[in-house]
Amino acid sequence: MVIEVRNVWKIFGERAEEVLRAIQRDNLHKTKVLERFGAVVAVRDVSFAVKRGEIFCIMGLSGSGKSTLVRHINRLIQPTDGQILIKGQDIGALPTEALRTLRADQIGMVFQNMALLPHRTVRDNIAFALELRNTDPFTRHQLADRMLETVSLQGYGDAMPSELSGGMQQRVGLARALAADPAILLMDEPFSALDPLIRRGLQDEFLALSQTMNKTTVFITHDLDEAMRMGSRIGIMRDGEMVQVGTPEDIIIHPKDGYVADFVQGLSRLKLVFAHRIMEQPETYNKTHGNLAEVDTWPQAHPQADLNSLVSLIVGQDCPIAIRDDDKLAGIVTKDALLKGIQGPSS
Amino acid sequence: MAPSKNSDSLDSFKEFAGHRGDYYGQTFLRIQQAKLPGLHLNMSALAGGFLWASLRGNWLLFWIGFAVDMVAAVNLALVHKYDLAVVQATADGKDFLVQRYDGWSDAHLQAALVLFVAGRLLLGWLADRLYYHHYARWRVNRSLPSGQAIRRLGIGMLVVLFIAPLTIYRASQFAPDERSCIKLARMIQDGQQVPLKDRFDCWTISEFPTLIWLQRPPQYTFPRNDDGTRSIVVKEPSSTRPVNLNHWLSEHIDQGIGYMKAFYGWLFDGVTRWIRILLNAVEAVFVGTPWIVTSLLFIVAAVKLAGSRMGVFTGAVLLYLALFGFWQTAMSTVSLTVAATVICVVAGLPLGIWVAKSKVGAAIVTPVLDIMQTIPSFVYLLPAVAFFSVGKPPGILATVIFAMPPMVRLTALGIQHVPASTKEAALAFGASPRQLLLKVELPLALPSIMAGVNQVVMLSLSMVVIAAIIGAGGMGFIVVDALARTQVGRGILAGIGIALIAMMIDRVVQKVNRM
Repeated sequence: MVIEVRNVWKIFGERAEEVLRAIQRDNLHKTKVLERFGAVVAVRDVSFAVKRGEIFCIMGLSGSGKSTLVRHINRLIQPTDGQILIKGQDIGALPTEALRTLRADQIGMVFQNMALLPHRTVRDNIAFALELRNTDPFTRHQLADRMLETVSLQGYGDAMPSELSGGMQQRVGLARALAADPAILLMDEPFSALDPLIRRGLQDEFLALSQTMNKTTVFITHDLDEAMRMGSRIGIMRDGEMVQVGTPEDIIIHPKDGYVADFVQGLSRLKLVFAHRIMEQPETYNKTHGNLAEVDTWPQAHPQADLNSLVSLIVGQDCPIAIRDDDKLAGIVTKDALLKGIQGPSS
Repeated sequence: MAPSKNSDSLDSFKEFAGHRGDYYGQTFLRIQQAKLPGLHLNMSALAGGFLWASLRGNWLLFWIGFAVDMVAAVNLALVHKYDLAVVQATADGKDFLVQRYDGWSDAHLQAALVLFVAGRLLLGWLADRLYYHHYARWRVNRSLPSGQAIRRLGIGMLVVLFIAPLTIYRASQFAPDERSCIKLARMIQDGQQVPLKDRFDCWTISEFPTLIWLQRPPQYTFPRNDDGTRSIVVKEPSSTRPVNLNHWLSEHIDQGIGYMKAFYGWLFDGVTRWIRILLNAVEAVFVGTPWIVTSLLFIVAAVKLAGSRMGVFTGAVLLYLALFGFWQTAMSTVSLTVAATVICVVAGLPLGIWVAKSKVGAAIVTPVLDIMQTIPSFVYLLPAVAFFSVGKPPGILATVIFAMPPMVRLTALGIQHVPASTKEAALAFGASPRQLLLKVELPLALPSIMAGVNQVVMLSLSMVVIAAIIGAGGMGFIVVDALARTQVGRGILAGIGIALIAMMIDRVVQKVNRM
């Protein structure tokens, strides 16, 4: 586990400790706390862990505490209670200097509003983390130029941030976060401020990048589509609480409560649900339909094939699809089952 | 629909007006329908004046009506005062005085009549219109007064009783002057009998009475001993007569300053010396360099920094100064300004950072700056003279105090306005507080800081001129000297020179800021 968050609480307001004890004793709700103490519960008893190389998406509406939560991971915000472990080390106990080194070496961060330094060139912005660690100008400029290539902005090193478009600025933000080669990336709604086409392009680019660079990423977003596209796993937050953690498929197939179900309802399941979820066992199929004789002439698919590819296979065919895992017949997907699978369980 | 709406409003009007609801209902209706005649008057308000207003609880109208009637009454009292004076002057046989007082008496009588009639007409005209606004507010807030109430009439009468008699009495009497009242107070202290009327007049219609009499403080001197140390010698006060608070405190302040100068003189001397060293260095550049070199450098700098047009302007200004024989004096003024600006920036920048960064700093410095900016510039000269005597260093010191606030404020403002997200980003990449300040906050606050420097330069220049009063010299001295000797022409020429210098510096600094 690269990042471990254990029972983290964050309460804004005076007397936070006292409020925390009162909440734990009486199990108060957020609105009650605000009413009685004038304190805001931003993060409420959140635990999760992120594996190496994973993209962990935290999804929630505005005000759900997701941005506050991610700032705990590099201790820009101190938790009221609970622990955060980076590579097994409790960062709550770190002295200031060690914390600064951790931020500079281990954790890169990308912000929704880019937060580039307007008085510095793109190159100096990217090299900022290295400059803070007193790396010599030659090394850091070379590195910055390499980073510019990584985010396909070569040649823009001498431009000022204000001369770049929003999408390009966010690439610079990403390059700055990657410059010190940190193990961890914190992305705080990095693409939310961009228009949809550019957002999509950057999402794809980031996915490709993160596969080659093998960073551990915590990705904040309020957009479920984005979370589903980017996340190896997703945590859904509401009112400071982590409602559900799971893979995109988990969440779409087994929403934990009505809140999550409402969220995933409108989502296209075509690329998120896989064949093994909707297939019938060969025996069951045999009982209801009989006639497995022609199974070898049917279209074939893997259990991990998504519904989208099944649709392509079945269009213009009169027969079902045979799902095979290592040549063994694992199940059958009929047209009806596929249509139901696309529609989802709720309606 | 319309009739029922009418009656709805009418009911509400009547509920509000209470007594004479029909009249007010119809009037308000006409106001709402914009059908009120231009000359509509409320007869009860016309007759009753402020009493009507207090009965109705409309205090705005009460004060308007009362003020006008009061001024009319004061005029009548003045008529009485001058009539008495006429009688007195006739008895004394002073004809010119009789004529004068007669004239004044007539004028006041006419004023009283005109004011009274016009005031009542105005009140009658305003009454229903303002009363309607009163109604509109009452609809929103039912706790506002409505209808008539005898209790409010009582309050109105009390206000009148409190204000009217004394004011009218004051107008009908020749008030005693301050000196005769002090004499009276001494007589009372000495136990002599004084007429009750004089006593009353001194307490109520003259200067605010001296309530506190204090023992005159003893006199301290701090003579130097043979070994160079100072000793404190206390002498009895020169007179045993008690003094008032003002006199008492100012003597204490004087003695405090005397004490500070005697025992901490080294501190003030040290400050003076450092300022003089700085000033000498600056003057060596501006005054000590031959005019050919200095003016050339000025013009080249102006062209490089602010373009060729500013270069031409600078050349013209310098030519003016040279032609009218102001060169050396002007350079002396520029030196003073530069020295003051340097001190302001060097001291103001860290102060501004402190204010921006620390709540304690803001709590301490902000009120001091507020006071510094409200005090008129002349007042700064006093402490400068008190502690540092006269000459250029105290002049620079007064200038620094006068010109520093914008430096501190704009530095703090610039740092506070650095976006929180930018600072957060820097922290997220591991910046230390020092790196945050030097690499993020100060660079981003630079435009604001430079605006502060510009302000400091301009304020310094204006104060340096004023500081000529305490011997700072320069162009200001010519103006002060010309003022004292009423040599208007010479003063005007020097004044134009100062204005030109100010414009020259301002334009160049502004251009530099914009780059």
